[in-house]
Amino acid sequence: MADLLGTDHPLSIAQRAQLDALLDTLLPASTDGRLPSAAAVDFPQYLNTQAPDLLTSIAVILGHLGDDFAELTDPEQIQRVNHFSQSVPDLFKTLLTHVYDCYYQNGQVRHAIGMVQGAVFPEGNEVLSGDLSLLDPVIDNQHRHQYRKV
Amino acid sequence: MAEDIVDVLIIGAGASGAAMAWSLADTRMRIVCLEQGDWTNPSDYPTNAANWESQAFGPYHINPNQRGLDTDYPINNDDSSVNVVNFNVVGGSTILYAAHFPRLHPADFKVKSIDGVADDWPIDYSTLEPYFNQNDRMMGVSGLAGDPMYPPKQPPLPPLPMGLVGEAVAKGFNALGWHWWPSDSAIISQPYEGRDKCLNLGPCISGCAQGGKSSTDITYWPEAIRRGVELRTRSRVREITVNDQGFADGVIYYNADGEECFQRAEVVVMACNGVGTPRILLNSTSPQFPNGLANNSGMVGKNLMFHPVGFVQGVFEERLDSHKGPQGCCILSKEFYESDPRRGFVRGYNMQVTRGSGPLNTAMAGFANGTIPWGAGHHAAFANRFDHVASIGIIGEDLPEAHNTVTLDPQLTDAQGIPAPKITYRYSDNSLAMMAHGLARGEEAMRAAGAIEVTSAGPLRETGWHLLGTARMGNDPKSSVVNHWGRSHDVKNLFIADGSIFVTGGGVNPTSTIQACALYIADTMKKNLANLFD
Repeated sequence: MADLLGTDHPLSIAQRAQLDALLDTLLPASTDGRLPSAAAVDFPQYLNTQAPDLLTSIAVILGHLGDDFAELTDPEQIQRVNHFSQSVPDLFKTLLTHVYDCYYQNGQVRHAIGMVQGAVFPEGNEVLSGDLSLLDPVIDNQHRHQYRKV
Repeated sequence: MAEDIVDVLIIGAGASGAAMAWSLADTRMRIVCLEQGDWTNPSDYPTNAANWESQAFGPYHINPNQRGLDTDYPINNDDSSVNVVNFNVVGGSTILYAAHFPRLHPADFKVKSIDGVADDWPIDYSTLEPYFNQNDRMMGVSGLAGDPMYPPKQPPLPPLPMGLVGEAVAKGFNALGWHWWPSDSAIISQPYEGRDKCLNLGPCISGCAQGGKSSTDITYWPEAIRRGVELRTRSRVREITVNDQGFADGVIYYNADGEECFQRAEVVVMACNGVGTPRILLNSTSPQFPNGLANNSGMVGKNLMFHPVGFVQGVFEERLDSHKGPQGCCILSKEFYESDPRRGFVRGYNMQVTRGSGPLNTAMAGFANGTIPWGAGHHAAFANRFDHVASIGIIGEDLPEAHNTVTLDPQLTDAQGIPAPKITYRYSDNSLAMMAHGLARGEEAMRAAGAIEVTSAGPLRETGWHLLGTARMGNDPKSSVVNHWGRSHDVKNLFIADGSIFVTGGGVNPTSTIQACALYIADTMKKNLANLFD
């Protein structure tokens, strides 16, 4: 794991475990193994490089979940996160946005959902031309599909 | 030292200012354009990075209040149902537009004659037709000839790929017997004029890193500059000054260092869009024009029109590769475009089929509407929606109403202390009835196309792209700001070439018509150079 949250915002080992548990609760790995857990896509590195504004809030977020969060059962963790999302909805939405943003940049994830790796430019995408013979009914009925002449 | 005076001073380097500058360059007059923003660098656009979706909420956000660049001006939308969106750079909002490029219809210029509402334009479709064609060639427009909902026209490039999204919705339109056609798009489907074709990146509205989208910084401006037009960036105009004879004689502006400058000019052309133009005119007061320049009619800033916008989304069982391809350009339907008062409203709307979002927007939209949870159910719900959606944008005609206005905010200012625009706007009953009809018809089309889940919403707030009507064209100086070729009734050397001059707005994206008007005005100026001020 990357140097967690940089030197200005160090987390304890317990807090690191809390963060991993939170990420795994928000986005667990898929049952078929194609999609990793959000805890496995280097969220700390993302925070350092792409979301430094959220760094200062991580300890606050973990504080809402409680020191024992990492030791809870899955249903208990879900219950805690639900409570957090309802009591501080704006902060939860900000967190979730960043977790998704990080997650859906991951190469394994993008491959699994059918996207190009990394930036969409310059590789771009192939798009089917489409069947223009579908226009035949419009052309056949163009007496009905007429602009208004003035 | 000789006084520095330019022949033509254009304010604004967006869609209309670029077309005007390019056309007037024929005259070999000295032409200067002042643009408050910078050139953008396509290498900085969000699609150069993997996090293009979140980057679109940063310096390329469509809302200037969110973007907050020092080259922007704030806009007070508190008394408006719609937030103004724009971009203040070379190329203007064409940098961030979807590039959907339909023209107004012939009937759009005759609203009063047809429906007894608003006013007819003093010009018509046939007046603009050669300029539509010229603009299509200059911008690089892709489309398919033969659409029966328009007079004959020949886009210079073949249509963009419909993709699975277009095919799916087209089948729905066909099942209902409705009109549809591949969209005219200011995006090049083949290499054109030194530009390579569109790579189907998807998110056109955060800037096109590849250059397949026809923004005026890469179409008109390079050509205009080669022909001698001087473009000064980071030059923010505060006001237009007038001489004792009531002619505009120059502008006061702030340069890149924030220094106040004065530029004398023989002719001034406003090209700042339907919010920026009335803002500067209203801020240009003098003893001759105490209520703002060119405002003897009292019409400057009034009759603001947007286009009410709503969306219908369909989720399909089959994969549609929705995130691939130009998001806003696919196919359209004009089935309910021409006016039919039996529907319960006058005028009509365009149904613009759009493609889907990227994964971040898909996931967050799903969180917001409860269809994609976080936790164990996320992956399955996400897989059912990502790349499985198609949308129909409902874009309706908004009639001019004097109480919908742009005024100067008494408190809010930009970085130079120039008063910010305040928007006062409410949807009319006609617009709301039209939107309800459009959303219902959009849902009908999606179901006919086989969507397994259909939702709709509208009119939506963050959709104020189309800024029209606030310095309208007309033959009567008592009820209009400019004459039939864009010249101010009150100030004979002041012209307006942007969407402000629209008498009515039609029900389509207006950029094609805005630019055709600018080219027409420029051409008329060229034909009347000998007696321009008579």
